[in-house]
Amino acid sequence: MHNDWARRRLQFCTLYRVFLLRVVDLELLSADGDPTKLIGQFATIFVTISLFFTLPALLMLMGTGSFPGTEGWTPEHFFIETAMTCAGLIAVLDWEAAFPDKRDLLVLAPLPVRKSTLFLAKIAALFAAPALAVAALNIFSGVAWPFLFRSGSGGLFGVLRVWPAYWITLLVAGAFLVFAILGIQGLAANLLPRQLFLRFSAVLQAAVMCLLLIVYFVEPSLESPAALAAAQNQRILAWLPSYWFLALFNQLNGSMHPVLVPLARRAWIGLGVSALGACTALLLCYFRLMRRMVEQPDILPQTRFVSWSPRFGNSLAGAITRFTMRTLMRSRQHRMILSFYLGVGITIVVGYVKAMNRGLGSTRGTISNSFLFASILMMILTVVTLRVVASIPISLSANWIIRVTQVRSARDYHRAIRWSWLILGVAPVMASIAAFLMAASPWRPALGHFGVMFWLGILLVEICLYTFSKIPFTCSYLPGKAGIHFAFWVCVLLFIRLLHEAAELEGRLLPGLLGSVLMILIVALAAIGMRHLSASRAALTEELLFEEAYPAEITSLGLG
Amino acid sequence: MLEVRHLRKRYSGIPAVDDVSFVARAGEVTGYLGANGSGKSTTMKMATGLIEPTSGEILFEGQPIKTDPMAYRQRLGYVPEEPHLYTHLSGMEYLVMVAELRDIERSCASARIHGLLRLFGIHGDRDVAMSSYSKGMRQKILLSAALMHNPDLILLDEPFSGLDVGSSLILRSLIKELAARGKIVLFSSHELETVERLCSHVVILHRGKVVADDSIERLRVLMAVPTLEGIFSQLAVEQDSETISREIADLIHA
Repeated sequence: MHNDWARRRLQFCTLYRVFLLRVVDLELLSADGDPTKLIGQFATIFVTISLFFTLPALLMLMGTGSFPGTEGWTPEHFFIETAMTCAGLIAVLDWEAAFPDKRDLLVLAPLPVRKSTLFLAKIAALFAAPALAVAALNIFSGVAWPFLFRSGSGGLFGVLRVWPAYWITLLVAGAFLVFAILGIQGLAANLLPRQLFLRFSAVLQAAVMCLLLIVYFVEPSLESPAALAAAQNQRILAWLPSYWFLALFNQLNGSMHPVLVPLARRAWIGLGVSALGACTALLLCYFRLMRRMVEQPDILPQTRFVSWSPRFGNSLAGAITRFTMRTLMRSRQHRMILSFYLGVGITIVVGYVKAMNRGLGSTRGTISNSFLFASILMMILTVVTLRVVASIPISLSANWIIRVTQVRSARDYHRAIRWSWLILGVAPVMASIAAFLMAASPWRPALGHFGVMFWLGILLVEICLYTFSKIPFTCSYLPGKAGIHFAFWVCVLLFIRLLHEAAELEGRLLPGLLGSVLMILIVALAAIGMRHLSASRAALTEELLFEEAYPAEITSLGLG
Repeated sequence: MLEVRHLRKRYSGIPAVDDVSFVARAGEVTGYLGANGSGKSTTMKMATGLIEPTSGEILFEGQPIKTDPMAYRQRLGYVPEEPHLYTHLSGMEYLVMVAELRDIERSCASARIHGLLRLFGIHGDRDVAMSSYSKGMRQKILLSAALMHNPDLILLDEPFSGLDVGSSLILRSLIKELAARGKIVLFSSHELETVERLCSHVVILHRGKVVADDSIERLRVLMAVPTLEGIFSQLAVEQDSETISREIADLIHA
């Protein structure tokens, strides 16, 4: 009996470690890449954000020391919703790992591992990743801020009570979202035929990702007793769980306000229902569907009535464009990154339009500045996202075919990639802008803006191509490059203001013919200059890059 | 003619291929044999240009392959040891991509791809993602990709892996046919019976070194052994298979 228990514990620990690392696809890493470094890097990003969040709390602690009345609800709600979104996003990224896949079953089924051990290890790993992310995100802020949230009447007991209340709320709120996501996924897996589920699951994952981001950025600010009690807000509050857990925190903290009572009740009910739903769905999946997973093929043979194979430039450009398009459409990992970036872009646009209290439509013979801002931001995000996603490989072991079929120079590949990015990145944004402008705008400013956007698209593609000496999705990933994502978002946040100014400037110049021409000329000259620079650099490139490596000066001292 | 001269490859100082020299001629199938880890696949990868040799050179029709690698790749067909493919693509999409990368004219490529898929018996599954292909189907895609541009040099690294009996027989005849049409075929396999039937000339590797490079007939006479299996056992197998199998059985029984 004891031996059996020890064996199961060992099996659990082994499986738990394996499943936990599934959050990151280690097969895509460069030979130089260290997976622990990658995880460390993500942890560093979260810890840095936590440190950044802590600074205002420290300033407040030096001042008043606590929030009077219900003023603390705003930061309390912010930290709860941030933790929930973070846990939710990790759960969405971990989507594939929720259920054992065919590979797991084929490897583990012949081994003497019980289904229950496999199930528990999966669940533990599934919850550990979001929990660790939430813990890292609150490692500093979770110490300083609760001190400000303490109940005014509690004295020393209030101080001692607030930390566990805060941390329990964060973890429970995160768990609620993870349960809900698992429940939805499990429900779909149980109700739909497997092949249909596999197709639907990818769409569902992207939808959940966008929903989480949109709710995080766009949800209304109702952190006051009046707003929470208002009859017109009750409907929306029923769909905003972050407010339920705000109430739960206050309940645990002993700072309950009457207006929060129904919300706290809803939090407990929501938690119970989501936990029950997720557990039922998961148990059904494991014990009902596992056999079916092995027996059924993932994708059944299908007959295509229309074989769509559009031409995009020469054969090389066509091959790269279609490869890029198909990878973006079919690879879950790439689609997720794309959804994340574009989802945030859309929410910034929605948030901006809301904040400016303006619509996107044209007014008084010109185009609205909100539309100018939105189109510039979407152009930047689309092209840059394409560049970021193209750096993540799809299957390193399959790259040999690209290498043995390289019968053209690296320069030709560079041209083909430029063409593919123009088609897949710039053209869709241009088409959307054209449709919008044709519908509602006066022709001259519309033409001017269209010209500016065209050249801006080319400029962005050239900037992105400047250091890109590889074929999209074929070069190994070096963990150090994760910084690109972080730096990118810091830049976006810093440049939102600059973009606003650029949109305002364009809005002022567009009505005049001279202004329009001048603007187009400036952006066109910048694009042509950048193109010259990137083409000169490409001319020096002899070999395409398939393996990212650290610069030599970092790995060696060159003493040899 | 493919000529390998004093080829060496070291990984962290450990030799994988050590001073290997041989010639593969047009119109004949050259068998490249060796135990696991003897350096066969490493040599194949160096011959395709996928990895750089530590020293030595590889000449194709008298020219080092490094001189004009793109022209060399145009004339090269390669089937790797493992069927690594972009499995998110369908078989058809993959082959069209390979044709485009090789710059084969569109209508010609289309005719060849459809023809190859039909002849290999996987035309009905051409639009299915390769993630659901069996190992044999993937192998057929690799063979189609390696042959569609009518290469002059064909490097086959264990091409029979995963193929069913019928497909193996077709491939066996195909290799003979290609050699008869003047192609250079370098063929690596563990199936000694197949090698014996197909190859006129064999190169046997042991621990990265060439231990035999001759026609099978001459090796039979020289070594006074009637079969290729016997020749291979004498040259490249260090331990007695019966002793090893007994030891394994003892070990798991203990």
